[in-house]
Amino acid sequence: KEIWEPRGYELRVQLQCKNLHEYLKELSPEILDRLYNHPATCLAVYRELPSLAKNYVMRMLFLDQPLPQAAVALWVKKDSQKDHDECVSVLAGLRLWHSQQLQGGLQGYILNPVFKDNLRTALLGGGRAWADEGSTLGPDRHARDIESLDRYAMERWEIILQFMVGSPSAVSQDLAQLLVQAGLMKSEAGEAPYITSAGFQFLLLDTASQLWYFTLQYLKTAQSRGMDLVEILSFLFQLSFSSLGRDYSVEGMSESLLTFLQHLREFGLVFQRKRKSRRYYPTRLAITLAAGVASNAGFIVVETNYRIYAYTNSELQIALVALFSEMLYRFPNVVVAQLTRESVQQAIANGITAQQIIHFLRTRAHPVMLTRTPVLPPTITDQIRLWELERDRLQFTEGVLYNQFLSQADFEVLRDRAQGLGCLVWQDVAHRVMVVTPQGHSEVKRFWKQVKMHSS
Amino acid sequence: MASEDEINLLVIVVDVNPIWWGQQAQRDPQFTLSKCMDAVMVMGNAHMAMARTNKLAVIASHCQGSHFLYPSKSWSGEDGGGNDVSSSGDGKYELLSAANNLIVEEIRNIMSKIEVTGNSTDTLLAGSLAKALCYIHRLTKELEVGQEIKSRILVVKAAEDCALQYMNFMNVIFAAQKQDCLQNPATTDSQAQKEETETTNVMGDFFVFVFLY
Repeated sequence: KEIWEPRGYELRVQLQCKNLHEYLKELSPEILDRLYNHPATCLAVYRELPSLAKNYVMRMLFLDQPLPQAAVALWVKKDSQKDHDECVSVLAGLRLWHSQQLQGGLQGYILNPVFKDNLRTALLGGGRAWADEGSTLGPDRHARDIESLDRYAMERWEIILQFMVGSPSAVSQDLAQLLVQAGLMKSEAGEAPYITSAGFQFLLLDTASQLWYFTLQYLKTAQSRGMDLVEILSFLFQLSFSSLGRDYSVEGMSESLLTFLQHLREFGLVFQRKRKSRRYYPTRLAITLAAGVASNAGFIVVETNYRIYAYTNSELQIALVALFSEMLYRFPNVVVAQLTRESVQQAIANGITAQQIIHFLRTRAHPVMLTRTPVLPPTITDQIRLWELERDRLQFTEGVLYNQFLSQADFEVLRDRAQGLGCLVWQDVAHRVMVVTPQGHSEVKRFWKQVKMHSS
Repeated sequence: MASEDEINLLVIVVDVNPIWWGQQAQRDPQFTLSKCMDAVMVMGNAHMAMARTNKLAVIASHCQGSHFLYPSKSWSGEDGGGNDVSSSGDGKYELLSAANNLIVEEIRNIMSKIEVTGNSTDTLLAGSLAKALCYIHRLTKELEVGQEIKSRILVVKAAEDCALQYMNFMNVIFAAQKQDCLQNPATTDSQAQKEETETTNVMGDFFVFVFLY
């Protein structure tokens, strides 16, 4: 998930968001099989498959016999063989199907029976209800409409992001700890946590990716909290398929699920009037979780003179734009900023990459910009990338300098030894100068002393 | 996360001619209109389950006109329709069970309201196809910036053709072709359909016909 790319003095943490499939592939087979016991999970996993794989699954969904592999291979034309192989590996990696020998001795494919049954249930009906519907509780006197749910969700999510940016906001101890564990913030003893470079990158992602990244972090810590991963994941998927504006009952939810619900309440994924309420409302954030659909309208216009016009009032959004651009003017409904070399390179020094800045601008692009292809002016995107590359012209590596060799032979002996050890960084034969890594320095020094003792 | 801006619309036109289905019940009590509707609903469910942006429409076609089963006029849309629609109480995906319940209710309404007079016993299929094309056209207009829509029509045809309808039928097919959409009939074993399939065979995959006789 996090890749540390050491480049000498600079340690850049690259934020990588896994998607659902990558996450599931890492789970153990037993957990996966238990997960597929719920129709919501099967539907969520099915929706994320590449379209060819979806077709394969649909074709085999109502078959009870294994299908010969040769027959499946005939479903694609010869020149799409690569797609077919990719599908086969995706389906096998997620344990959605496996090979089984047919009666004639041929190899065949058959769908994972648990997955098959539960996907069929999701389509046809039958089986257990996903959750107790709220209808048993009667209509809600304090019903919330969709607008207020949306507002609530955005408010709670922005509080978390504002906490990361450093504005004072009330965030629970649990949440702060989760942010620290996720590597998005660092906390020194006794002080308030402050944001890391991974945190900066996180801020510029779109809401759906942020949510997903956050949820994955939470799931990682779930087991250490004593929660059942399968239970939580199933509930999460179920939530992502629920209808906006509808209330659901907490009947039949276990203790750990209720705790999870409280955490979701804090992230803004569900709304519950009170902690003890018997019903909850999923918000748009929960529904976008598995879908990745952009919920907010864009508000940024980028012009070819490097000006950014952000039509927003939100302090958070303005702070985010200010991360990589220079603020010029602020009006009641719009903020004008300029992309300059200094501002972009400052952002890059903080750990943000050019790709992330471009992604941020693209995902928040105003509908007016969306009519153009490409959405952002190519001059701007190219220039941002060039500014990033400017910083990469020099690469720093630590080392120890060896110079003032008395003879060429001495130099060559030591150089060959260092090369043999793999710690030679640089050499200049004409001037008899070489640089060795700090780790290799002690070894090379010892070798040199041995050689000197030998020769003298 | 996979997010596609492409909307896939499937419009299913079902022939619910009461006379034909009544006769069919006598020919083969196993295969009734409710069985056919069940199968159609499973097809619709499978289509909706594939992606979040997939859309479905179902039109019932009978001798007095055609009627939208889903989305119906009383359907308020995805948001906020929760309290009116009864939940399935079983493992079906909520959205699908809401759609299925709607379809069942609507078709019940239609079948009880149809009055068949002696003269008109033929299914007005061309009219339903035209309605489907208009619906597709309307949705294409309502798209947001950057979204694309791909549409298909699946026709489940029961009663035999009516010669009077021929011109209208051909007009509808050519209109669909003009929208740069192609058609592909799937036939069963009937002699009378051979000519029609020959004319529609030149076209690709926009219409899919399923002939039940």
